[in-house]
Amino acid sequence: MNERKEIFLRAYKAGAAHLASSFSLVEILRTLWLGGVLAYAPNDPRWEGRDILILSKGHGALAFYVVLHEAGCLSREELDSFCLPGSLLGGEPHVGECPWVETSTGSLGHGLGVAVGMALALRQDKKPNRVYVILGDGECQEGSVWEGAQGACAYGLDNLTVIIDRNRIQKMDFIEHITGPDDLGGRFAAFGWDVKDCDGHDEGALKAALTGNWEIGKPRCLIARTVKGKGVSLMEDAPGWHFRMPNRRELKVFCEELNITEEELEVCKRPI
Amino acid sequence: MQTAYITALYDLMARDERVCSLLSDSGTDYDRLLARDFPERCYNFGIAEALQVSAASGMAAMGKIPFVYTTGAFLAYRAYEFIRDDVCLPRRNVKLVGIGMGTGMGQWSTLGPSHHTTEDIAALRALPNLTLLSASTPRQLAAMVSLAVRIPGPVYIRMGMAGESEFYPENYVFRPEVPELILPGEDYVVFSTGTILEEVYEAVQTIRGQGLSVALWDVPTLKPFPGGEILSALDGKIRAFTVEEHSVTGGLGSAVAEVLVASGVRIPLKCFGLRNTFAEGYGTTKEVRQLNGLDSRCLTTKLFAGIKLPNLDLEDPTSQF
Repeated sequence: MNERKEIFLRAYKAGAAHLASSFSLVEILRTLWLGGVLAYAPNDPRWEGRDILILSKGHGALAFYVVLHEAGCLSREELDSFCLPGSLLGGEPHVGECPWVETSTGSLGHGLGVAVGMALALRQDKKPNRVYVILGDGECQEGSVWEGAQGACAYGLDNLTVIIDRNRIQKMDFIEHITGPDDLGGRFAAFGWDVKDCDGHDEGALKAALTGNWEIGKPRCLIARTVKGKGVSLMEDAPGWHFRMPNRRELKVFCEELNITEEELEVCKRPI
Repeated sequence: MQTAYITALYDLMARDERVCSLLSDSGTDYDRLLARDFPERCYNFGIAEALQVSAASGMAAMGKIPFVYTTGAFLAYRAYEFIRDDVCLPRRNVKLVGIGMGTGMGQWSTLGPSHHTTEDIAALRALPNLTLLSASTPRQLAAMVSLAVRIPGPVYIRMGMAGESEFYPENYVFRPEVPELILPGEDYVVFSTGTILEEVYEAVQTIRGQGLSVALWDVPTLKPFPGGEILSALDGKIRAFTVEEHSVTGGLGSAVAEVLVASGVRIPLKCFGLRNTFAEGYGTTKEVRQLNGLDSRCLTTKLFAGIKLPNLDLEDPTSQF
């Protein structure tokens, strides 16, 4: 499946989505769901043996749904309904609608704290399930991320893994231009996390990092270096695409680069 | 009231392994008892209320019943969005307990407005899926804590600290759906919520001593609001009053007014509380209540004036803004 093409067509039909943020996440999500990292049962979202995944950067929801469909967890009909009236799949993940969403996100800086609670409860019950959280690098500007980072270390939660989608761009600009140069890996390490980094578009590297050796007694942080808007030249590494769709001229480039035919586009045209 | 809380929580933790205690550097020596006897279920996240609430949500998602205990001002205001998004939105079985109600932090009120909880009812009452309780006495609080685990979903309990008067018997059972009649009366009715009850009680007793027939109700459940019971309490009364150690905007007075307007019942209502102001001053809790017109003597004067006025002295509505 061409996930980015699928993401674009669903967004095109819905009228709007966070394309660039979803595009940077594709390989991270593929590695987790299709690369044998997460334990899950496609027919039972509440299976007790499942690993937990929280998409704290909730605006990557569309990529999450597309990969869930590929993993056999969502039907074609469910995926096609993205953000249409009556759909269970919204622009940000909402618990109680999509059964694969573990906690509602959308307001940034919530996922890690919730994950800390889940990891504590699992450890208290001596369960082997792991908790994964995907954070945006811009999201790490939220203070609550660091309350979570501190708490995870205080309790030595080595059943918790944070993956940072390190695409270096937030809504308005490059992160570096807004809050200055940072060293997210260094910050997490200074808090007491075991930190690794890898190419966030290389599924082999992602899997090797996630399933490799980590320090016992420390929460894990994988900095996945990505390109925001990966897959469409106009969007790649270009601020300004956080929540917008292409205009008519740009649409041609999207269709060319994502191999979208006029017929495929026509089917997704939604009369308003 | 803190002793009552810990005793009730200890009892719950002894009976139910799902119950956990979550602190944000907010415990007292009493919490050491819990940590001693249930170490694997006691967590202190440090001074980090957002994490405390989010983590409670995560624990509840895994089947635990976390009690989140910290200063009400830091819980209701600082962690509000975490209560909204992580607890109320997914209907997590989290019990939130805010200490220090109104201006009081126990018998003293020396810390000023940053530590006052005088807008929390207004803020929390708007949250869907949340049960909002306001304890007036230690026994009522203990009964609320025991009941809270049987209410599925988010519960927020406002509580005082220490030295509150007791109005309920030892075997008191909290019934969330009904207000409690403290003093019966025929002509006038006063509704109160929380630990200010002791001041209101004195004021109402003084007025009753003058031959006026005044009923006093304690309203411990603010959401879902017992509108039908409130209307029954208003039946046949000439005038109604609310008293709260809280802003008159969005609190108990507003809730009673909403019931009156929605039902079409016409009865004059006067609300006493803080009116577009933060509480001011330092001293004992009694002295600070006095500085803000909410001690028993001030309330006596206000209630007398309200009763004797030929027409209600309606406040300038713009003064609230």
